[in-house]
Amino acid sequence: MSIPSDLRFTKEHEWVRIEGDTATFGVSDHAQEALGDIVFVELPEIGRSIDAGEAYGVVESVKAVSDVYAPVAGEVIEVNDALEGEPDLVNSDAYGAGWIIKVKISDNNDDVELMNAEEYATFLEE
Amino acid sequence: MTELLKTPLFDAHVALGGKMVPFAGYELPVQYKDGALKEYTAVREGEAGIFDITHMGQVRVQGSDALAFLQYVTTNDVSKLVDGQVQYSALLNDQGTFIDDITTYKINDEAYYLCINAANRHKDVAHLQAQAANFDVEVLDDSDDTTLLALQGAKAQAALQTITSMDLEAIGYYKFARGQIGEAGGIISRTGYTGEDGFEIYIPNSIAEDVWRALVAEGAVPIGLAARDMLRTEMGYALYGHEISDAVTPVEAKLMWITKLDKGDFIGKAAVESRKAEGAKQRLIALRLTGRGIPREHYKVFVDGEESGEITSGMHSPMAGGGVALAYVKPEHVTEGQISVEIRGKQIEAERTQTPFVRSNVRR
Repeated sequence: MSIPSDLRFTKEHEWVRIEGDTATFGVSDHAQEALGDIVFVELPEIGRSIDAGEAYGVVESVKAVSDVYAPVAGEVIEVNDALEGEPDLVNSDAYGAGWIIKVKISDNNDDVELMNAEEYATFLEE
Repeated sequence: MTELLKTPLFDAHVALGGKMVPFAGYELPVQYKDGALKEYTAVREGEAGIFDITHMGQVRVQGSDALAFLQYVTTNDVSKLVDGQVQYSALLNDQGTFIDDITTYKINDEAYYLCINAANRHKDVAHLQAQAANFDVEVLDDSDDTTLLALQGAKAQAALQTITSMDLEAIGYYKFARGQIGEAGGIISRTGYTGEDGFEIYIPNSIAEDVWRALVAEGAVPIGLAARDMLRTEMGYALYGHEISDAVTPVEAKLMWITKLDKGDFIGKAAVESRKAEGAKQRLIALRLTGRGIPREHYKVFVDGEESGEITSGMHSPMAGGGVALAYVKPEHVTEGQISVEIRGKQIEAERTQTPFVRSNVRR
């Protein structure tokens, strides 16, 4: 699967789409592939403040429980409720319908380092 | 670390996209390329799944004292078996706790096969051979020469019938027959650990790949360890190292139905009788989450806010539509009190239920 060029990535295989002061988080296609069939997603409360690198939710596959980490700091403004009924959207559409949360980006993101699509592709090959 | 063993089907698993992981000393596929849920669905919803369970051990017991020996070392009543019948049973130690759970295959009064768990193989064989000293019986470990496949699901019989001359329709539940399979001979039993109709197939390693390929060509879907464990757990079947171990007796594990205290003496009998009289310290129950979440092994179980025990096997059951689990709790909590499971620090409500968690389709 090609890596969308409008996204930024972390070394933990999370993606973030930044539009103005809003950021959407999800896990990369590589991550969902490695996790296997996802059967449960635990979402954070709306209004919660999350630091960059903080675990904000949990993705559970048939065999494993994995935290998901925030690529940038912000306050949760929306969660993907569809994942409660269809957690497998993370598998089938990791960069689209499988998004996990949206945050309002806070101003303490100076130290955050993200990869662009090209850098992430290189990272995956290493 | 000891080097992991490979079954004769290792290359076949890799060719099918099997994600190989260490399990009971072997490298086995946890899933194939389409994932555990699709594999699970194939077995539960009308197809057939094929499982490489060669890691399990096979022990031959033969000699004039074979029956008396097995009456003494296993918990179930071997005298009730007719030739060609299989029995679920267990090996206990003197403390009445589990060495292993097994199946006993009766060929005749002087010849039996035991199917044992991979992880317990050397322990079981050493125990059986030590006990055999007092009987006119031989205990032979055939595990290294035997490939064991399970073929489970509604289409299992039709697929298997294409490669054997044995009349499969004539093999009843927990019965077996010996005869031609593919290019060699073997044993087919109508047994399994999935809750679906199906078979377990014992063949020499020399024909393992041919039989595997033939059954896959007949539409059998290769099933990895993850889906196998889902199918097992949904039936509430015990698994060594989870529900049963050398820390519990059949009294705790709800396995008194395979422990026949009225059959004469056997190893562990006295200890089981006294445990039964004094009462178990913990008991196995089945539960279903009413809140959201997945109950997993080792998660703590609370009753009315008091810690009572922990989960031994748990999963998200696609068919039950939620989290189901087996757990040990204090005896006073088997029927009384509000149950909850602690998941990441939160108490998630649960209710007691019965096993199997979903409908069993075995042929009775």
